[in-house]
Amino acid sequence: MRAFSALVDKELRTLFQAPIAWIVIGVFLGLTGYSFTLTLFNNRYATLVHIFFQVAGLLLLIVPIITMRLLAEERRAGTLELLLTAPVKESHVVLAKYLAGMAVVLIMIGLTATYAVVLGLYGTPEWGPIYSGYLGLALLASTLVSLGLAVSAFTSNQVIAAIVTIGISFFLWMVDTLAAMLPDGLERIFISLSLLARFTPFATGAMYTSDAGFFISTTLLALFIAMRALARR
Amino acid sequence: MPPVVLVEHLTKYYGARRAVSDVSFDMRPGEVMGLLGPNGSGKSTILRILTGYLQPSSGRAQICGFDVVSQSLQARQCVGYVPEDVPLYAQMRVHEFLTFMGRLRGLEGAGCARAIDEVIERLSFGRYRHQLIGKLSRGYRQRVAIAQALLGRPKLLVLDEPTNGLDPRQIIEVRELIRALANDMAILVTSHILVEIERVAQRVAILLDGRLLGVRALSDSKMGLEALFLSLTEGEPQ
Repeated sequence: MRAFSALVDKELRTLFQAPIAWIVIGVFLGLTGYSFTLTLFNNRYATLVHIFFQVAGLLLLIVPIITMRLLAEERRAGTLELLLTAPVKESHVVLAKYLAGMAVVLIMIGLTATYAVVLGLYGTPEWGPIYSGYLGLALLASTLVSLGLAVSAFTSNQVIAAIVTIGISFFLWMVDTLAAMLPDGLERIFISLSLLARFTPFATGAMYTSDAGFFISTTLLALFIAMRALARR
Repeated sequence: MPPVVLVEHLTKYYGARRAVSDVSFDMRPGEVMGLLGPNGSGKSTILRILTGYLQPSSGRAQICGFDVVSQSLQARQCVGYVPEDVPLYAQMRVHEFLTFMGRLRGLEGAGCARAIDEVIERLSFGRYRHQLIGKLSRGYRQRVAIAQALLGRPKLLVLDEPTNGLDPRQIIEVRELIRALANDMAILVTSHILVEIERVAQRVAILLDGRLLGVRALSDSKMGLEALFLSLTEGEPQ
């Protein structure tokens, strides 16, 4: 566990010492804050549903920027060799990077809770959908971070890692749009793989264990792929 | 005394290309052994297998009795490794990097700080301990890389082309350091330069195209390393 906590410390330090995490958090809060204020003044509804969908959309773009360097940079700089020849498990290396990536994204999402506080102070929001929306965002972030980490494990080029992750994330987000063109069996599969279809119930106040299970399973699968990519030497 | 390193019929393929072919050798505690061969002869691949970074295609290797594949963590605990080109975290400060590497080796708190002080003193770079690694010269980067490899007192130190890119004074310092460290641990060092191996090693393994042409004790050999290398590689394709 000592080695694991050292890995987590190092990853958190590396992410937060670099300006990119702060810039990403700043831009994210600027955009969501603008949207929240505008929608609140126009509609005067004490709800965060639109914010949840907007945050989810932004995560598809922002998470790959956070995860692109996690393993690709280690590979490019050659420090992966240093790391993997130390007495640490590949799984610990991957998990430490996943936790660090999640920490940045959860801080980002957590800061938007100020909008919920504003709604609570000046209105009477339904708290159930707000809680489920945040849970959905955390689960979606988990899938996206682990996906970005898995892609980052296969390349030494950060830009390639980011572009491929954005591509896969967007494809998975809207893969249900293909469903209408497919035969029955395939249709169900494509809808069940859609991040949007899985996230929508959370954002609108419904929670299904099958959707939570999907996000957890995809996270575990992506982390496993990242570990295999490191172990395959 | 059991060998620190035991390599038996080691073979490694990269796709269809055979980088290491049926290599066998061993190393005793306190021995300095040189792997000599031209670029692309398989030296770094052998080191990467021994340090657990690569897996062999066939054959086996043990460090301190631990198999490098099935008991990889225990084997890696016994090895300090300085890869070629000295990859380090440029954005970290020296003491921060050494603390991180020490913690990976299971050192913690006062024990870790003591081990770091020890290696810094041994390698004489105390005034750079708070410096950013990215701002260090090649020579000091090399010292920091060796320092991290010495944390936790490994039984085997593995140095891949340790004098690459160093100036003459730094090369002499590295050679002296290798000789001094040999009192405490076995050292496996690679080079494609004859004189580098001749100056520090007691035994030499000569590689060509991934094949081990021979292992000789330099003290026993009546001919110099240059003549030995030529005699072993005579008739081999260039």
